[in-house]
Amino acid sequence: MTEREVTVVNRAGLHTRPASMIVRTASKFKSEFYIEKDGYEINGKSIIGVMTLAAEPGATLRLLFDGPDETEAATAVSQLFEEGFGEVK
Amino acid sequence: MNEHTAHSATGVGVSPGIAIGPVYLYRRATAQVPAEQIAPEAVDHELKRFEQAVQRAERDLQKIANVAQEKIGADSAVIFEAQSLMLRDVALYGTVVDAIQEKRHTAAYAVKEVMGKHRKIMEASDNAYFRERAHDLLDVQERLIRHLRREKLLSRIQEDAIVISETLTAADIVLFSRRGILGCATDFGGPTSHVSIMARALGLPAVFSMHGITDHVQPGDIAIVDGVEGRVILRPDEATLAHYQYRKTRYQQIVLEQRKLAHLPGETTDGHHVALKANLEFKEELEVLPTYGAEGIGLFRTEMEFLLRGRLHIDEYAQYQTYRKVIEAVAPHSTTFRVIDLGGDKMLPMSHREQNPFLGWRGIRVLLDKQDELLVPQLRALLRASAHGPMRILVPMVSTVDEVLRFRAVYDRVCASLDEDDLPYDPNTPLGIMIEVPSAALRAKQLAPHVDFFSIGTNDLTQYTLAVDRGNDLVATLYDSLQPAVLSLIDQTVQAAKAAGIPVSVCGEFAADPRGTILLTGIGVDELSVSPTYLPEVKQVIRAMSLDEAQAIARAALDAGRPSEVKALLGQWLDKHALDLKHLLELRPGLAAAEAAS
Repeated sequence: MTEREVTVVNRAGLHTRPASMIVRTASKFKSEFYIEKDGYEINGKSIIGVMTLAAEPGATLRLLFDGPDETEAATAVSQLFEEGFGEVK
Repeated sequence: MNEHTAHSATGVGVSPGIAIGPVYLYRRATAQVPAEQIAPEAVDHELKRFEQAVQRAERDLQKIANVAQEKIGADSAVIFEAQSLMLRDVALYGTVVDAIQEKRHTAAYAVKEVMGKHRKIMEASDNAYFRERAHDLLDVQERLIRHLRREKLLSRIQEDAIVISETLTAADIVLFSRRGILGCATDFGGPTSHVSIMARALGLPAVFSMHGITDHVQPGDIAIVDGVEGRVILRPDEATLAHYQYRKTRYQQIVLEQRKLAHLPGETTDGHHVALKANLEFKEELEVLPTYGAEGIGLFRTEMEFLLRGRLHIDEYAQYQTYRKVIEAVAPHSTTFRVIDLGGDKMLPMSHREQNPFLGWRGIRVLLDKQDELLVPQLRALLRASAHGPMRILVPMVSTVDEVLRFRAVYDRVCASLDEDDLPYDPNTPLGIMIEVPSAALRAKQLAPHVDFFSIGTNDLTQYTLAVDRGNDLVATLYDSLQPAVLSLIDQTVQAAKAAGIPVSVCGEFAADPRGTILLTGIGVDELSVSPTYLPEVKQVIRAMSLDEAQAIARAALDAGRPSEVKALLGQWLDKHALDLKHLLELRPGLAAAEAAS
């Protein structure tokens, strides 16, 4: 199990485009992937799940990866958050 | 209701033009999905049906994304790609498969249940943007259910149909347009929705907010959609049909004729120039400007982009890019950006509920209270854009000198912060105010030294001066910009501007009413800004009169005691030019009706 804590830094929050990016990226890996926010956990490979998080700018999320490629998956997904999903800050 | 009687109702004309054709009543699929169970031996078949429906939906969405991208731009396709991703989402696909296998639900019922649960979560969000995304889930849900029922929706639409529906999504209208429909009308929806923008971009006449039009439709109906007047007529009698056939032909002729005027200047017969500019809300509308011969944008309503997104945060850089695009497209003409004007009837879903929003927290009052979140980022974005071409900044809903001074202080601070960040901007960008509150008009002389220009907003000025909410059917007929009290405040504002040597413009529907065009020119307004579609008409009026004539009419109107006297004066002049101008009233019966009622 690999765990990461990330903050939503892009101004608009996890809206449609960032949510698609997370799901597409996570789906490339075999590991299971969950996102936890305020004690509420969703499947990170589900766009509906990610959108129901309604994560706004500044929100802190816990990313949980479990599987053979969990380290790589954790790095790839965390990077999306760090880069603000390619949106100009 | 007699099924043969005509039914006529008004709504909001969101896309101009007139269309006549047979009705296609588009019913959305949410209606009835019963909680049925299937036999154990039917499970495999149901799973196969579900997979087929998903595949069909994927093909649909791919097609829609392609059309949207090609006709409207890449940004608009993102939403359809995300919907496509939802179809294979474990939270949808996996859960539906489980429900079919374990609970032996029908696929349609399982889809409705699963999506309903997710929608509820999103609808409960505090954030309007996320609440709105629940519509995307609904769209996916309905698309799947439609395919599960094998409703071959589109193949039943005739080429020349008028689509009538409770609501339409952006995806619907894109696909319908490919089927060659003529126009559409819906119960809900307003002019700022995405689907309205698409209707305009696709050139489809459309009237929304009809409240109950779907209840009146019967099989085999013929419908008239009048996007100019915002009216829909079902089952028209022969005389009405003939009238609208004529209106449609005239509309097309007039549009063609007027477009020929596009390259001519807005000049009276004695050579007095009135700048004719366009009111705009979205950068998507820019391409129409040359067609209508606009000399720039007199009012760019920046709040629409925020209302469309349902949130207050659009980052500075994104705003800057939008404004820059607009400025560069309009140059060498100038663009006047009105800073975010929220409140009144333009509420974000998270706005405070007020007893009396039109007398409440709106315009500059919101901006001064929300400096860090709203005003500062927007002013920074606007000023950064000023480095790329001519532009002006306009402040809404000012009622006192103090407000202007406070705004100026923020403006100066923003300039200093841009200097500090070494970002280029034009330090001479004109800063002006809207005159739309009677107190501002009464004190125009005292306000003038603090600003670079005035822009009179006749819609609000009329409503506040006469204490009439024109959205209220009980008093809407009392709303009349030709009331001498309104004209007198306009005149006072213009005289104050002249004395201070600053330009004054009018943006508001009154400027597009031929009678308003005459009076405002006579009073001495330098610039009129109207919806682009009205520009050719306004130009036609100006080119038909002399400044002397307009001034004489304006003087008489200001001395008049009652609006009927003003109307008689204008009527005489319009009669004299009846051959040229009659069609203005003919095509806009709203004006003609107001005339008849007075």
